[in-house]
Amino acid sequence: MKSLLVAALFGFATSVALAAASVGQPAPAFTVVDAGGKTVSLGDFKGKHVVLEWVNPGCPFVQKHYDSANMQGTQKDATSKGVVWLAINSTAPDAGDYKAPAAMAQWMLGQKAAATTTLIDADGKVGKAYGARTTPHMYIVDPQGKLIYAGGIDNKATANPADIASATNHVKVALGETLAGKPVTTASTRPYGCSIKYSSGA
Amino acid sequence: MLLALSMALSMAPTLTLAATPGAVVTTAQVRAELVAHAPEGLAAGKPVWLGLKLEHKPHWHTYWKNPGDSGLPTTLDWTLPAGVTAGDIEWPTPVKLPIGPLLNYGYEGTLLLPVSLNLPAGFAADTLQIKLRADWLVCKDVCIPEGGDFVLQLPVHAATAGHAALFAAARAALPVWVAGAQASAAVQTDSLQLRVSGLPAAWQGKPLVFFPETSGVIQNAAPVQGAWSGGQWTARVPLDPQRSASPSALPAVLTAPGEAAGLQVNFAVAGAWPVAAPLAPALPSLGNAEVAAVTPAQALPSLGWALLFALAGGMLLNLMPCVFPVLSLKVLGFATQAHGGQRRALLAGGLAYTAGVVVSFVALAGLLLALRAGGEQLGWGFQLQSPAVVAVLAALFTLIGLNLAGVFEFGSVLPSSLTAARLRHPALDSALTGVLAVAVASPCTAPFMGASLGLAVTLPTAQALTVFAALGLGMALPYLAASAWPALARMLPRPGAWMAHFKTLMAFPMFATVVWLVWVLGQQTGIDGAAALLLLLLALAFAAWALGSPALGRQARRGFGVAAIVLMAAALFWAAPSLRQEAVASAKTVDAWQPWSAEKVTQAQAAGQSVFVDFTAAWCVTCQFNKRVTFANAEVRTAFAQHQVLLLRADWTRRDAAISAELARLGRSGVPVYALYSPTATSPRLLSEILSVSEVRSALADLPTRPQ
Repeated sequence: MKSLLVAALFGFATSVALAAASVGQPAPAFTVVDAGGKTVSLGDFKGKHVVLEWVNPGCPFVQKHYDSANMQGTQKDATSKGVVWLAINSTAPDAGDYKAPAAMAQWMLGQKAAATTTLIDADGKVGKAYGARTTPHMYIVDPQGKLIYAGGIDNKATANPADIASATNHVKVALGETLAGKPVTTASTRPYGCSIKYSSGA
Repeated sequence: MLLALSMALSMAPTLTLAATPGAVVTTAQVRAELVAHAPEGLAAGKPVWLGLKLEHKPHWHTYWKNPGDSGLPTTLDWTLPAGVTAGDIEWPTPVKLPIGPLLNYGYEGTLLLPVSLNLPAGFAADTLQIKLRADWLVCKDVCIPEGGDFVLQLPVHAATAGHAALFAAARAALPVWVAGAQASAAVQTDSLQLRVSGLPAAWQGKPLVFFPETSGVIQNAAPVQGAWSGGQWTARVPLDPQRSASPSALPAVLTAPGEAAGLQVNFAVAGAWPVAAPLAPALPSLGNAEVAAVTPAQALPSLGWALLFALAGGMLLNLMPCVFPVLSLKVLGFATQAHGGQRRALLAGGLAYTAGVVVSFVALAGLLLALRAGGEQLGWGFQLQSPAVVAVLAALFTLIGLNLAGVFEFGSVLPSSLTAARLRHPALDSALTGVLAVAVASPCTAPFMGASLGLAVTLPTAQALTVFAALGLGMALPYLAASAWPALARMLPRPGAWMAHFKTLMAFPMFATVVWLVWVLGQQTGIDGAAALLLLLLALAFAAWALGSPALGRQARRGFGVAAIVLMAAALFWAAPSLRQEAVASAKTVDAWQPWSAEKVTQAQAAGQSVFVDFTAAWCVTCQFNKRVTFANAEVRTAFAQHQVLLLRADWTRRDAAISAELARLGRSGVPVYALYSPTATSPRLLSEILSVSEVRSALADLPTRPQ
């Protein structure tokens, strides 16, 4: 009994830091505006698979996957199969590499990105609800709204683009499995990259 | 803009170095230098150290081996002459680097990452050329991946000691192994309960900081509140809800204010890691209580199912050879009372008995949970891992058997005041019968239900205790029903001479249980221990007859009684030491099975060989059944030989922390467990607890064919 009480107290204390989306549980709902000013909710895509990609153009690890066209390739592969791809930038406006919505849209365009849309989460609410820590940090939500993958883009945690060829792309594998109606075998991996520069206000 | 500049700068060293590699690489954030320390020159057996010295510009940092929420550890890739080898980085004690709601582990200021260098015997050269490719990620609020190529020439016959102070400082910052520290991490639903004792006196009472070496396990940024109690530090650390590692041991560094270096402590992980809610939920096929409750890795049955199976399992317990004789006689007593008609008293007795059973089960489970929380490596069946408990149970069963056989009456042995008290408080008497029933049932719960109950123990405390309470309720249910509806009891044949015969008959399953317990004790302590127990039981039987036989007169009873007590005392004196000592008697591997060790499994896997591990115990009836039927089967033995499977047996008859830890890693806390390790797969395939010949054969057929 006592241990339950202590657990409850600690549970409260930890919720202050980063909220806890966990794999196998419903993905946290959110409503934000995209880089074009349109309001987008996760609920809009019920019935479809949704990939969430945390992105920050200033981060060398994001550059590793965009300059090599690895991220765009993964996006194209997914969206061509009817998957919704939401790129999310949670960088705070006071951070050195913050990009205003228009500049963000421009950058994605210049990269020939194939994301469905790019979301601006400058107050970090979505990022914190998902416990997003790095750029890139990848999540997959299934058509029932359940989180089925959380983690890195692949298994080679380096900044070297040469490692992409020999890496296992976790998102591609997980999407392939879930689209084939199979459970995701590797559902939690360690994300790697730059820290997300969260706004201190939220 | 700033970023573009820093990126450009970070490229610069690699470019310039391509022309003239040296020992120093400078970027806008870091000055990196390859340094060496060889105060006695270079030769086999002499201390030779290399190190990467990183001087960070203010507010910039690089990372520890576990970088925390983001970041990458620094990597060193050496190119050395043949025969010369470099060790792993000996990471200095890190610091916490918070960034917003995230937390990293790493270093600021001046850092040396030391590495020991091993030279072959008879190393002959004038100089040693060392080449290093180092990569590090340096961050402030932005992160820059940097790296460099370094070359260093060292004189072989002269001392290199220009950086002695730097290496001494690095050594002083290395976490120190604490000999004799006991550390455990008990896995709970959403947290780890850490416990450490045996830390140096100077550290006790200080607020400790916990740095796990394995990443992806805990919520790094969550506040950890530790507490000291006596010499023990405890802390609850929240698990990462997106946990990506489930290690069986958690090496960690502990730091305290005012201490330059941390302490290196290895936490043994106890309990099963919570399974993420199953992605493809499949209800277990429901055969019987044990099999259904025992498939945790795939799909843990909901608490409702677990309670239902515990209830059914408890009812089945009444049919076990250790319980049936005692309870059947008790119910026969109803036949007399029911015919006489005392319904209220009967029902009160039934309820008191139920309370006694449930409370005893919960108490026993509570004791187990408390011991586990205290860091003990235990599973259900732990009661039978102690030779003393086995001996006491054997004595108890002998007494009950002798009583049933009519050798003595309890009434003549117990003081008359106690007998009177039993008559005056029938409810208390019934409750104590419940306690006795659990005591006599415990040797049966462990062997027949050890695996499923072991599983229940890994549930959160409140749920685990509920499951055990349901088990007790199930066990008490038939008795309770018979006391509530005497009509049930009236269905029994009328009391008569057959009851006396039935009672005597019931003595035999009791003695059978004793035979089994003597065998278990023999496995634990060897032939001397078994003989000592038999002698003790003989003395006990003599004493029971001398003091309690209704056929003896007062005079004879007194004479024999004194002799019996003297004999008992002598037997105890002689037998006790051999019951206590845990003889290492298991050196009899006459069959194809070798004793298990984790190293043997990994070595065989590395050599491309498949491994089958039998986690077993002498007191586990299911295990013995499988051993004698399935593993003795000729087809199974041929199949094992054909696939060249290494057969290992992990014997859990006595307590064994390594086996308990391995069971926990497999998500189990009881035996039997059958694990088949293929050389190509990282985790083993677990087979059913009730193992069939065809299941073993088909599992072996699925193994990759071994290249010849």
